[in-house]
Amino acid sequence: MATMTCKAFLNRLQLWMDDNPPPDAEAHLRNCPNCRNVIADLNAIHSEAQSWNTEEVEPPAHIWTSLRSQLEQEGLIRDQRSVLPQPSNSGWFSGWFAGLPRPALAGAYLVLLIAVAFGLSRPIDKRVNEARWLEGTEVSTSPLSAQLAAEQVSFASFNDSNPVVTASLNKNLAIVDNYITLCEKSVQEEPQNEVARDYLYEAYQQKADLLAQMTERGENNR
Amino acid sequence: MPEAEAIRLAQQGDASAFERLYRLHNRRVYSLCLRMVGNTAGAEDLTQEAFLQLFRKIATFRGESAFSTWLHRLAVNVVLMKLRKKSGTETSLDELTEPDEESGGPRRDFGGPDLRLSGSIDRVHLQRAVEQLPPGYKAVFVLHDIQGYEHNEIAEIMDCSIGNSKSQLHKARMRLRELLHEATRDKAREDRKAASADSGGED
Repeated sequence: MATMTCKAFLNRLQLWMDDNPPPDAEAHLRNCPNCRNVIADLNAIHSEAQSWNTEEVEPPAHIWTSLRSQLEQEGLIRDQRSVLPQPSNSGWFSGWFAGLPRPALAGAYLVLLIAVAFGLSRPIDKRVNEARWLEGTEVSTSPLSAQLAAEQVSFASFNDSNPVVTASLNKNLAIVDNYITLCEKSVQEEPQNEVARDYLYEAYQQKADLLAQMTERGENNR
Repeated sequence: MPEAEAIRLAQQGDASAFERLYRLHNRRVYSLCLRMVGNTAGAEDLTQEAFLQLFRKIATFRGESAFSTWLHRLAVNVVLMKLRKKSGTETSLDELTEPDEESGGPRRDFGGPDLRLSGSIDRVHLQRAVEQLPPGYKAVFVLHDIQGYEHNEIAEIMDCSIGNSKSQLHKARMRLRELLHEATRDKAREDRKAASADSGGED
């Protein structure tokens, strides 16, 4: 058998690196300590690297939060209602709002509905006077924003008495609030974009719906 | 929710389907990015970017290849683009898979009479060496030796031939060996200097 040189051995190494070497390469390895060292080193590198594979790392939670916001901003996530809690007839939900200050919450809900109705009526003005509409966009949304802040205060008193509901409620409100913030930003950037305005009012409507469901459940359980 | 159903719903913009797909694959993509860039902040940015690109393009996914392969192809491309920008070189994927194009240095004799590394390779030194690899070598090494992909899968992910994948991997391992030897020699030199300084101080 012809003797293989180190150079020839190393040049051909990649052809069989994950398999058994051919007979002439094996013969060379038996007689060449340098090439044996090369093979041993490569195997050691491969083995060490393989041991890392068992350690898949959990990414931080904020990546999904940021990603989701970006997807919402770009309009790739279209079904916002799917993130809101659906009314349920099961018993666990019925006890949620027994302790709520119902008159205050009902009043807040009515004010919010009126504000949303006021906001939704603005596009009609637009057809009459574009300038008035653009000026009115801020005016129509500001009572809603103020009302949202008032809602958060109402729920703060509720938090102390029922921590389980608090967690769920705060989560859902945070999602809706985040959506509202994104929509408000879009409207500010493009005040003439009717789609952006529709999304904003839909966001307010979602919050109103959420509060209405809560109030209704609370009343039913008195 | 099965993956196929999640893909179909995500193509319609369903929020929970997007989240399902993210939860199914985020660990693997994040681990890949972490191995490629070597720091958590960079890996987080790249993971988000990879999934963002995935969800932007998901409506075009027709199932010709496995979803995970498609996702990893996107992720690898995102990482490679980032690494190329960082190194200030704009190269195409074709150039990336050509032998001896990336390092640009003189051809090295890998078979020198170095001391054997076995037993002296630790995680920290190998990770440091991996970070110094050219992007193309690094991608193939991470995909094959760390993440366990076969050459045919890497060829699909990297859009290259199986032969190129094998060649890149071989060069990556050889380069790593060389970097590890350099680190060993540097360490030995520093130890000698320190010993010499100590003995000088005693006189």
